[in-house]
Amino acid sequence: MRKLILPVSILAVILALVVLAPVLPLADERAMDIPHRFAGPSMAHWLGQDEFGRDVLTRLIYGARASLSIAIGSALAAALIGTALGLLGGYFRGIVEIFTVRAAEIVLCLPPLLLALLVVTIFGAGFWPLILALTLLYTPNYARVVYAATLQVRALDFVTAQRALGTHPLQIVVRTMLPNVLPPLVVQISLVIASAIVIESGLSFLGLGVVPPTPSWGLMIRAARGAMEQAPLLLLWPSVALAGTILTFNLLCDRLQSVLDPRAVPAGGAIWLRRRRTAPPAPRTAPDEDARNDAPADLLSIAGLTIALDRPGGIGSGMELVRGVGFAVRTGETLALVGESGSGKTLTSLAVTGLLPDVLGVTGGTATYRRRDGAVVDLLAQDEDGHRRLRGDEISMVFQDASAALNPVHRIGDQLTEVILAHRAIGRAAAKREAVELLGRVGIPDAERRARAYPHELSGGQRQRAMIAIAVANQPKLLLADEPTTALDPTIQAQILALIAGLKRDNPEMGVVFVTHNLAVVAEIADRVCVMYAGEVVEEGPVATVFARPRHPYTAALIGSVPEGDAERLVAIPGTVPAPGHMPPGCSFAPRCDHAVAACREAPPPEFSPEPGRRTRCLRFEEVT
Amino acid sequence: MLRYITYRSLVAVFLVWIVVTLVFLLLHLVPGDPAEVLLSQGSTAADPQAVANLRQRLGLDDPLWLQYAHHIGGILTGDLGTSFRDGAPVAGQIVQRLPRTLEVIVTAALIAVLFGVPAGTLAAVRAGGWIDNVISFLSSLALSTPVFVVGSVVILIFAQELRLVPAGGYVPFAVDPARHVLLLLMPAGTVALALWAVVARMSRGSVLDVLERDYVRTARAKGLKRRRILRRHVVRNAMIPVLTVLGLEMGTLIGGTVLVEFVFNWPGLSGYLVSAVDARDYPEVVGIVMVISILFVFLNLVVDIVYAVLDPRISLSR
Repeated sequence: MRKLILPVSILAVILALVVLAPVLPLADERAMDIPHRFAGPSMAHWLGQDEFGRDVLTRLIYGARASLSIAIGSALAAALIGTALGLLGGYFRGIVEIFTVRAAEIVLCLPPLLLALLVVTIFGAGFWPLILALTLLYTPNYARVVYAATLQVRALDFVTAQRALGTHPLQIVVRTMLPNVLPPLVVQISLVIASAIVIESGLSFLGLGVVPPTPSWGLMIRAARGAMEQAPLLLLWPSVALAGTILTFNLLCDRLQSVLDPRAVPAGGAIWLRRRRTAPPAPRTAPDEDARNDAPADLLSIAGLTIALDRPGGIGSGMELVRGVGFAVRTGETLALVGESGSGKTLTSLAVTGLLPDVLGVTGGTATYRRRDGAVVDLLAQDEDGHRRLRGDEISMVFQDASAALNPVHRIGDQLTEVILAHRAIGRAAAKREAVELLGRVGIPDAERRARAYPHELSGGQRQRAMIAIAVANQPKLLLADEPTTALDPTIQAQILALIAGLKRDNPEMGVVFVTHNLAVVAEIADRVCVMYAGEVVEEGPVATVFARPRHPYTAALIGSVPEGDAERLVAIPGTVPAPGHMPPGCSFAPRCDHAVAACREAPPPEFSPEPGRRTRCLRFEEVT
Repeated sequence: MLRYITYRSLVAVFLVWIVVTLVFLLLHLVPGDPAEVLLSQGSTAADPQAVANLRQRLGLDDPLWLQYAHHIGGILTGDLGTSFRDGAPVAGQIVQRLPRTLEVIVTAALIAVLFGVPAGTLAAVRAGGWIDNVISFLSSLALSTPVFVVGSVVILIFAQELRLVPAGGYVPFAVDPARHVLLLLMPAGTVALALWAVVARMSRGSVLDVLERDYVRTARAKGLKRRRILRRHVVRNAMIPVLTVLGLEMGTLIGGTVLVEFVFNWPGLSGYLVSAVDARDYPEVVGIVMVISILFVFLNLVVDIVYAVLDPRISLSR
């Protein structure tokens, strides 16, 4: 609401001047003083005198009177008629809609100024023709806005309920609908007033609006143009008054919009696009040299990864969504990252590629990655450019929703060629050939023709195949697949899984991180599984042994909740995942855990290794199964 | 695609028919005798003999359906009647003046896009920064200053005070190309200012919207260079709604250059319209309004088709 203070107070001053003009100690707006024509500012005439020696300040204020009464008058008249049409059309629909909203829209077929001129031709210039023209002009705007708002409100439950109760339609429209469509209406009124002032002053400027000697800003500018040589300031005053008033109304409209519809506040752009990093990378523990040597076969090794909300001064800044996550992926291995939505599995994979949303930031940890050339780098310490060189080449991603992840306005083939050309120095024609080949390899029939198709022309399964083709185009060393089958039909899911398995056979060096919440998929595709819960890794190990004997109650519960043919009953996990910022002091799963004891609730459990190659974060892992 | 264009064209033809009928009806909807209304000046009653003459010239004594048939027939054959003032055919004047008006509009649109798209994109990329604030303030100012104010101030500064340019006028391109362009740039630049603001604001909003899309993340995941992402995946997609709005704005401008043509003494269609309205020369006004409205409808049609070409999803949804 504080945003409205500025425009509203300026408008209050303008309106007060306009309303009080007759009682203010002003000169007579029509009193001529020919000997002093074009006199400059003086004590008696603050802004000087015009071509007939009349007081400019007085005429400026009386001009506002004409402009504003025409603009506000017609804006309100149009609002009244337009709202009635929009409400009726939106509420009753059908034939009523045709005779109200659609009929009003015919006016929109004519350019606005033309319609006004047409009215002036028929009725001549003057105050009332202007009001009529502007009312006619703006009625459809209101009708449309109110109509759209009415349609929305109409579908709401309380309106349906009233209709079911047999309330008279007009009563519903006036008592229930009208208050609900008021916010967009108010915005529209301020917009229309500004626009009406523009048209009114324009017509007056042409000599087709307000009739002299009544003062009007448009007329004043018209007269001042003729006297530019003698008194250039005469042009300035009405111009400033006019532009200032319109600016104020526009400002009011903008502010009203942001107050009435806070969701419309735009996002903050994209930090990755700005050359300079806005914040230096947070200090992190340096990659441990020994640890690197211990696991020479590791392709990617994440340790202590912490991701937090990173909006300086924003709500919940510093709140940790992922805490101390660590796991390793070996060359040629498939690791499944499993957990409920909100467990942080997607964020983890995005952090590795530097694609976290702007509001999130990595606040700790390392992700050492062994490049093709053998060099070891910390992925979390890369800037956008460092990430860029790896992304799509060595490390690539497949996203969940291929229809949103593919650009709708580019052909599939071009989107594929693009990633090849970004990392390899080959010709465009060669890249195109390769793109078609790739499409064939991922199982898209008639690849030659399909390469020329747009994403919307493909089926959901084919889009995901194209997405995978993009990901594997440069023979990546690491493929991060973020729920690539979740949005697909079960039969298509199986085909996509088979495709990924097939691609792994073609490229046995490729490590895969497969993010999913589907344990059946894990059993089918993964070598090892890493279970995440509330932003932490709770258990990790080879798929076969973890499934055979889970060492964390959460894993056990997840396995228990998978529908299987021979299962006696499905076990749902009671309770919900704790919200970030409301983590229990001890084990984050303790509130939902059957095995929890007092010790579980006191401090976060450390990591245990029940057997080589397995980890769990449970004090009672011995007793779980 | 062809089906879509056919469908949209039929809608356009229908709209043109509505406009033509509306303009016809407008005179007849006026309460009282239209001839008398047209001839009256303020409170002075019209001369009965003149009213009778005008009724005859406008064919107002014929039955309404016959008048309507004449009206439609005239438009189909390109006969828009003759002027009250000098008896010259209205169509001839329009053919001569329309290209000059279109020249101003197209030049203004080019200038607006040339400066508006980069400004809006820059503002979006630096959203919340000082560049964004400056561009946002400038565009508010440009949107709030009517063209005739801008035009008058331009003349005051550049022609009157600095004496860099003439105060307006027109020279055919064939006579003096350089002077033609100079004289064109003043009205076009003035119109472009407000248009620039519209394009910049739309571009900013649209780019911000596109930056949030998944496919931009995909483009980043591909390891494309910043400039390429911005050009091919952000601005290319963001331009679709911007161009639509620009097209619609240009349509409005066909009738809206009235003021700027008046200010710069540019002999386009609109100046003709103003003098016709001033003289209340009904056939001239109707002829011009009709031509502009038809252009307006067809420009909207072209915008729709271009939109469909730019966004391949559109044509399928119809």
